[in-house]
Amino acid sequence: MIHSTFIKELKELSRDGRVRISFLIVVLLMAVATWISKSQYTTINEQYQEAETAERHIWEAQGEKNPHSAAHYGTYAFKPKYPLSLVDHGVDKFTGTSIFLEAHKRNEAQFSKAADQTGLARFGDLTPDFVLLFILPLLIVFLGYNAFTKEKEMGTLVLLKSQGTPVGKLIFGKWLGIFTPIFITVALLFIVAGIVLSNLNDFGVFSWTSLGVMFLVYLAYYIIFINLVLFISSKMKKSGISLVLSLGAWILACLAVPKAASNMAESQYPYPTRQEFAASITKDQKSGIDGHDPWNKQAKMLENEVLKQHNVDSLEQLPFNFDAYRMQKGEEHTAEIYFKHYKHLKTQFEQQSKLYRNLAVLSPFLPTRFMSMAVANTDYSTHWDFADAAETYRVDLQAFLNGNFAENSSYGEWSYRADESTWKEMPAFDYDPPELSEILSRNSSNSAILSAWILGSFSLLFFTTKKL
Amino acid sequence: MYKFNFIYELKGLLRNGWIQLLSLLLFALFFFAFYNGHEKVNKRKSDILAAHQEVQESDQVMLKQLDSVERGMEVTASPWTIPSKPMAVGNYHPRVAAMDPSNLAFISTGQSDLFTHYVKPKTSGDDLALNFTEITNPVQQLFGSFDPAFVIIFLLPLIIIAFTYNVLSSERESGTLRLLASQPISLASWVLQKMVIRLFWILVMISVILTIVFYINGSDRSIASLLPVFGVTAGYILFWFALAFIVNLWVGSSAKNAIALIGLWLLFVLLIPSTLNQMGSTLYPMPSRTLMINQLRNAKAEATKKQDEILDNFLRDHPEYAINDPNQGRSFYHRYMASQQLVREELQPVIQKFEGQLQNQQQWISQLKWLSPAIIVQQELNALAGTSTRDYESYRKQVTAFAETWRQHLLPFLYNNQPFSSQDYKNLPVFEYVSLESDSTAKSTLVLAMIALGLVGLGFVKGMAYQSSRNIITP
Repeated sequence: MIHSTFIKELKELSRDGRVRISFLIVVLLMAVATWISKSQYTTINEQYQEAETAERHIWEAQGEKNPHSAAHYGTYAFKPKYPLSLVDHGVDKFTGTSIFLEAHKRNEAQFSKAADQTGLARFGDLTPDFVLLFILPLLIVFLGYNAFTKEKEMGTLVLLKSQGTPVGKLIFGKWLGIFTPIFITVALLFIVAGIVLSNLNDFGVFSWTSLGVMFLVYLAYYIIFINLVLFISSKMKKSGISLVLSLGAWILACLAVPKAASNMAESQYPYPTRQEFAASITKDQKSGIDGHDPWNKQAKMLENEVLKQHNVDSLEQLPFNFDAYRMQKGEEHTAEIYFKHYKHLKTQFEQQSKLYRNLAVLSPFLPTRFMSMAVANTDYSTHWDFADAAETYRVDLQAFLNGNFAENSSYGEWSYRADESTWKEMPAFDYDPPELSEILSRNSSNSAILSAWILGSFSLLFFTTKKL
Repeated sequence: MYKFNFIYELKGLLRNGWIQLLSLLLFALFFFAFYNGHEKVNKRKSDILAAHQEVQESDQVMLKQLDSVERGMEVTASPWTIPSKPMAVGNYHPRVAAMDPSNLAFISTGQSDLFTHYVKPKTSGDDLALNFTEITNPVQQLFGSFDPAFVIIFLLPLIIIAFTYNVLSSERESGTLRLLASQPISLASWVLQKMVIRLFWILVMISVILTIVFYINGSDRSIASLLPVFGVTAGYILFWFALAFIVNLWVGSSAKNAIALIGLWLLFVLLIPSTLNQMGSTLYPMPSRTLMINQLRNAKAEATKKQDEILDNFLRDHPEYAINDPNQGRSFYHRYMASQQLVREELQPVIQKFEGQLQNQQQWISQLKWLSPAIIVQQELNALAGTSTRDYESYRKQVTAFAETWRQHLLPFLYNNQPFSSQDYKNLPVFEYVSLESDSTAKSTLVLAMIALGLVGLGFVKGMAYQSSRNIITP
C-alpha cells in the first residue's frame, strides 16, 4: 500500500505542470544565487589576501621607530571568509570585516557591507540560504497542501476507505511521495555546491563533513515542513483552506516569528549604544591605571612597589625603562577593563540567544537558521571568536612592543628607536575558526530543538490522524 | 442588483466570521508593530537625551576648571586635559551631533538599526574615525524588525490574498455560479463588485485600527500626520486587490488562484527587490573597504614622516597664523592638526567614492522602483519615517560638516597660541540636524492607484473575452 501510494503520488506530481515549473524555478534560482555568491566570494577573498599582505608589508616596513609609536601606528586584523559562507551568508553582511589593533584601545570590527548598501538590501539577498530557508519550504507547501484534500474533493478517499486501507500506510506513502523529490533535489544541490566549493583553490579548507552536517540540518527542516503541511491537509476539507493555512504556517515560521523574536531580544536585553559603551569604558579607565599618566595614584603605587622590589631609590637606577614597564602594566589594566565590558555584551548576547531558542517552539526556522550559520562559520559566535582572537593578538603585540621598549632603553629615554628588523619578529595575525565538533557541541540545544520538532511533528501527523 | 449584492456579501462575510477574524488579526498585527516601532523610537530619544545630559555635566566640570585656571589656581587633572588648551576642549569636550527621530519614525525601522543616532566629533582624528554604525547583535539586523512597514509591505498583501483568492472560484466550486450566470450582469463587473466590497471593508478597518493603535500607543501628534502613511498603504492595498481581481478572472480553481497570487507576491516582495539590489551593486560596485584601509595607512604614514614640512607649508598657506608663530610654541598638536588636515584632504576623494556609489545605487533604485509596488512603498515609508538611506547619508554629511566647523572654531586658538577661556564657552558651535523632506508620497500613491486601475481595466477586457468565448461555469 505504501509503495503504490508512493508511486501514484510521484506520477501525479510529475504530471502536474505547476510542480514541474516550481521545481524548475527553484533550481534556476539556486543556480543564479550560487553563481552570484561564488563570484562575490572570489573577489572578496582576493581583496582579503591583497589587503592582508599589504598591511603586513606596511607593518614590517615601518623603519626605525619608537616601539610605542609603532603601537599607536597599529595594525589591522582582517576577517577571512570560509568556503561554506557561500552556501549560508549568515550575519556576515552585518558584521565588520576589519579590526584596528592599536595601543590602549580595543576597537570594534569596522565596515559592514550592509552599511554600504541601500535600503533595498533589507528585502533580502538572492543567496543560496535564502532559497534553502524560504523558497524550498514554500515549494513543500505547494506540493503537499492538497495531498489529502484532493482525495476528499474528488471522492477517492471514500474508495480508499472502502478497501480497508490503513490510514498510517496511506499517510506514509504520501509522505514519501513528497519527501523523495525534495530529498533528491536538495541532495543534488548540495553535491553541486560541494563540487563547486572543492574546486575553489586557495581559499580556506573546505570540508565535506561540514557540508554533510548542513545537509542534514536542512533535511530535518524540510521533514518538519512536510509533516506540518500533510497534517494540515489531513485535517481540512477543502484544498483552498488547506493551502491558506499552510501558507499561514510558513509566514509565521519564516517571517513573523523571527522578526518578533528580534524585537523582543532587542528590547529585553539591549546592548548599550556605541557612545555609551565607550563612555563607560572611559569612566573605568579614569579610576584605573592610565599608561600615560605619572600622576595617577595606582601608577604611583606601582612605582614604589617596583623600587622596593629592586632595592633602588630612583627610577633611573632600574635595569629597564620604567616608562615602558608602566605602560605595559597600564595596557594590561585596560585590557581587563575591556574584558569586563565585552563580557557584559556577551552576557546580553547569550541572553538574546536563549530567547531565540525559547521562541523556537513557535518556529523551526530559528534553530535551522542558527545551526546553518554556525556550521558555515558565518554566525555571530564565530564573529565573537574572531574579535576575541584579534584582541588576544593585540594584547600580545602590546606586550612585545612594550617589552622591547623596556629592555632596550632606560627611564625617560623617549628618543629610543627600535631597529628596522624589530617589526618582523612579531608573527602575523592568524585566525582559525572553531572546529566542527566544537560548533556542534556549542549548538547542541539547537539540534535538540530541531530533533524535538521532528519527533513532535511526526507524532502529530501519525498519531493524531487516526481517521481521514 | 448592486444593493442586493452588497448586502448579501456583507452578511456572508460576517456569518462566516471573515470580518471578525480579519479585524482581530489586523488589530493584533498593527498593535504589536506600532508598539515595537514606538519602543525603538523611545530608546533612541532617551539615548540622545542621556548623551546631551552627559555633555552638560562635563561642561560644568570644564567651566569650573577654566574658572580655576583663570584665577591662577591649580587644577587637579592631567595637564593635557585642562580645557584652557583648545585641543583639550576639542577632544575631551566634544558636542553631541544627534539625529533626532522624525514624527513618523516608528512607522519604519528602515536603516535605523544599522546606524548610530549620535556621534561626538573631535578635533583630532580623520573623518573615517567617525564610526556611524551601531553595535548590535547582527542577528537582529538579519531578521529585521516587526514594524508597521513590515506589516504593510509583507503581511497586508498576504491577508488580501487570503481574503480574495476564491471570490469567483468558490462560487463555481459550490455551484452557485450557475444561478448567477442567469442574472443580467457581466462576470467581470460582478467580481469587481465583490472585490470593491472587500476593499471597502479593509480600508475602513485599517483606518479605524490605525487610529485606535495610534492613540493607544500614546502618540502626542495629531492623527493627520498619519495621513501620508495611510495614503501609500491604500494605494498598495488597491494594487493587490486589482491583482487579485485579474487573477480571479484569469486563472481558475481556488488553489490555482492562491498559488498564482503567492507566486506574484514572491515576485514583487522578494525576488524583484533582491534582484534589483544585486544588479545595483553589480553596476555600481562599492570599492573595497579593506583596500581603502591600505590607502588610508599609506597616506597617514607619509604624513607622519613629513610632519614638520607639512606644518611649514600649512603656515605658509595660512599667514594669519604664522604671524603669531615666530617659530616658537610649536607643540605636538600644531604639527598633528596640520598633517591631519592634509590626510583628510587626500582621503576626501576616497571617501567620496563610497558615498558616490551609494548615491548611484540609490539613483538606480529610484528609477526602477516602479517595477515593484513593494519597493515604492518601502522607499516611501522609509522616507516618511526619516530612516532611509538618503536620510542617513544626509546626516553623515551634516556631521562631517559640523566636525569641520568644530575644528575650524578651535584651530585659531591653537595656532594663535591663545588659551581657551570661559568667555569663549558660549560661542562654541552647536549641531542642529536638518531632516530631509519627503515630497514624493502623493506621486507614489497616485502611481500605485493608476497601476491598480490599469490592472482592473485589463481584467475587464479579459473578463469580456472570457465570457463571450467560453463556458464560465466550468473552468
